Amino acid sequence: MKTATMIRNSDHDFLTRLKESEEDTFAQKAVAKAQDAQWIKREAARQELGNWEDWRSLGEQIRQHTVRYLPDYLEEFSDNVEKNGGRVFFAQTDVEARDFIVNLAREKQVRNVVKSKSMVTSEIGVDKALLEIEGMNLLETDLAEFILQQDDWDEPTHLVFPAIHKDRDQVREVFMKKLGYEGDNDPQHLARFARKVMRERFLRNEMSITGCNFAVADNGMINLDTNEGNADLCMAIPKIQVVCMGMERIVPGMREAETIDNMLARSAVGQKITTYCTFTSRQVDGEADGPEEFYVVIIDNGRSNALGTDFEPILQCIRCASCLNVCPVYRHIGGHGYGSIYPGPVGSVLSPVLQGNYDDFPDLPYACSLCAACTATCPVKIPLHKLLIKHRQIEMDDLHQSKLVDDAVMRVVGLGTGHSSLFRTALGMDHAMLTPLQKKRPETAENLYSNGRHLEWMPFVFGGWTKVRDLPDPPAHSKNFRTWFREHKREQAMQGGMKATVPQAPRDPRASGSVGEPVLKADGYYQDGRPITEVQAHAQGQDKVSERVGARAASLSQEHVPEGSHIDGNDIADAASRQEGTQQHD
Amino acid sequence: MTDRETFLNHLAERSGRPRHLLGDNPLVPVNDLPETTLSGKSQDELLRIARKNSEAVNAHFQTTTKAKLPGVLDTFIKDKITDNADEPYQANGHDRLLLPTSDLFADFGLESWRDGLEDPTPTFWRPGAGRQANIDAAEHAGAAIAFADYMLAESGSITTATTPGQGRAFHFLPVHYLAIVRKSCILPRSRQAMDRYDKAMKAGELKTSNINIITGPSNTGDIEMVLVVGVHGPLDMTYLVVEDM
Repeated sequence: MKTATMIRNSDHDFLTRLKESEEDTFAQKAVAKAQDAQWIKREAARQELGNWEDWRSLGEQIRQHTVRYLPDYLEEFSDNVEKNGGRVFFAQTDVEARDFIVNLAREKQVRNVVKSKSMVTSEIGVDKALLEIEGMNLLETDLAEFILQQDDWDEPTHLVFPAIHKDRDQVREVFMKKLGYEGDNDPQHLARFARKVMRERFLRNEMSITGCNFAVADNGMINLDTNEGNADLCMAIPKIQVVCMGMERIVPGMREAETIDNMLARSAVGQKITTYCTFTSRQVDGEADGPEEFYVVIIDNGRSNALGTDFEPILQCIRCASCLNVCPVYRHIGGHGYGSIYPGPVGSVLSPVLQGNYDDFPDLPYACSLCAACTATCPVKIPLHKLLIKHRQIEMDDLHQSKLVDDAVMRVVGLGTGHSSLFRTALGMDHAMLTPLQKKRPETAENLYSNGRHLEWMPFVFGGWTKVRDLPDPPAHSKNFRTWFREHKREQAMQGGMKATVPQAPRDPRASGSVGEPVLKADGYYQDGRPITEVQAHAQGQDKVSERVGARAASLSQEHVPEGSHIDGNDIADAASRQEGTQQHD
Repeated sequence: MTDRETFLNHLAERSGRPRHLLGDNPLVPVNDLPETTLSGKSQDELLRIARKNSEAVNAHFQTTTKAKLPGVLDTFIKDKITDNADEPYQANGHDRLLLPTSDLFADFGLESWRDGLEDPTPTFWRPGAGRQANIDAAEHAGAAIAFADYMLAESGSITTATTPGQGRAFHFLPVHYLAIVRKSCILPRSRQAMDRYDKAMKAGELKTSNINIITGPSNTGDIEMVLVVGVHGPLDMTYLVVEDM
């Protein structure tokens, strides 16, 4: 069963997409501006709320709990929708969901359909399928989506600001060309013009298609958050409403919906709550407007691939897009670079999960510097960067996607860095061996510490680096860090009247067979399990230096470090989020 | 479409967890921040917080007394309709005043005010008048005056549940909008409002298909992230708090 067959939104390969993104300097500036503006708004909103880390714990708990008992909550929700007079349909694939909606539109002989912005409707490709019905008028009513539709269905590039890559002149041009707009490029005038065009369409609308921020299990209502009010008009005027819902977008009750709405608005746009936060279901007897026919389509489309795996936390996502708004990679390559309707860190994790393979998006897990800013900002604590590493592990270890040559090179690197004697030999030779490849440019602040020399081409896997940036030339052996450090310690010792020591990497006594040698751990030096000072460790290291060389010491990488004592991206993310929670941004 | 049982069993199978374990594992929240944030404030303090936060979302925040209420509403109507020329971006003209059908006119002492309105003569959202007639009334409204259930101090919001006399489109189609709310109905946060609605719906006291939390006028940042107020919904929003109720 194929899933998520329509989430790829570019036919170009990753490197081509990157090149295109690189050339689109307007989009880059727009994304940078959006990220910076949203940073200030988001952090101010979280700061004002207070106790942000505790709110995150609550948000994580609600979402984890719901995903854990997902079948039970979906059962409860669908029972309650039916109790309210609505109908629920379950779709395992995008095609199933799309066909249901298209058939419904045909059956009801609907010719005017309005939509409010929803990622899941993009995921199932319902727009294009509906437009194949003869005489069908379909209107995207979120202003950004409306602009993209008028521009011949240009692809969205951000989950919350889909038209972020267009400036006011481009919008004006689209409106002039397609809608006969005659005004200036003032965003207010453009928006008011769009209001008028869309209002007329709203009034003759027969069926609406909306997304669903959250489904409320215990009363069968759906919860939608918008700022423009288009979703509410979609839910008020037509007689038929179809709600498309990713199956994980559910919460136990109104209280949890309200909690997550508060966190979503703060994380997405720095608001306390969106302008319109609505809970809705099928019209109740006596009411004049609202849908007489209310359909909810619950869509799996590959989400269940995450269940029971390391990727299950991605189903906690509430689509706030704050991970996009802090991501340095997204800042540079924008939404189009990802090639998926779900861009940014969440998209890089989610897209291969939805498809259940790496055929379309093998590169996305690598579109990440592992800085963990996404993990630190996520309101429901999805360990995004760790999930990207997990994707890489699967691609390399399980699927053996690495090239044989790269694999061999990495083995050599592993061998070289794994043995101190080989490593030191390599350090002594790297400068000399790379000389033929060196290029020189005048010394500037940028290359002050790299001899003014750099490499523009490297072989094998190292070429991945030099394809996109210069590699600073490694310093000569006499100038490298280890030499400098040794000299520095000697000078320090001379000044302090102490015996000069040569620092050596202490090693695991079990590996070298010698008992009592100092061991370096994340929190300092140890000997026989007891902490010792750095000076003691170095003094002992010096005494045993000849023994160490002779014994071909084990590497630091083989050293036994108890689980949890090492520093990884998660610790950095935790530290960063603690800092975010206490920082003032005013 | 996939049969529900097949769909749900598939999820249980993938997750490796049997179905129907929820009964023994209800959600017990790790903290009570939604309740305790902003709790313990007096109505005066909540009013002050609500004013600050309403103004921050571009809502006009006014207070009045029950006795002065008709006069304040007259001024609103004059500003928004009588003295306000039709605007080119409004599709269908906006010279009418839209009012709900509600017992609350009596509670707020507004029955004679309502019955005496002449310029313009009000149109009403009428139970039984049907979808088209009510939507037409709302679409041609230059201004609507609504009754809100609650006001939320933290976010500067008003909340309203749809009734036969005050429908969904009532709050979205008119150009200008005013919501009347009692001072005693100012709540700290959305949590307290949701608790009240949830309880009333489950007890059968409230029968509604729709609950709106509305926070200021409709707006967008979709063009270059420049804030534009007034997109699909009302172009402006006035909250009128009646202090002695």
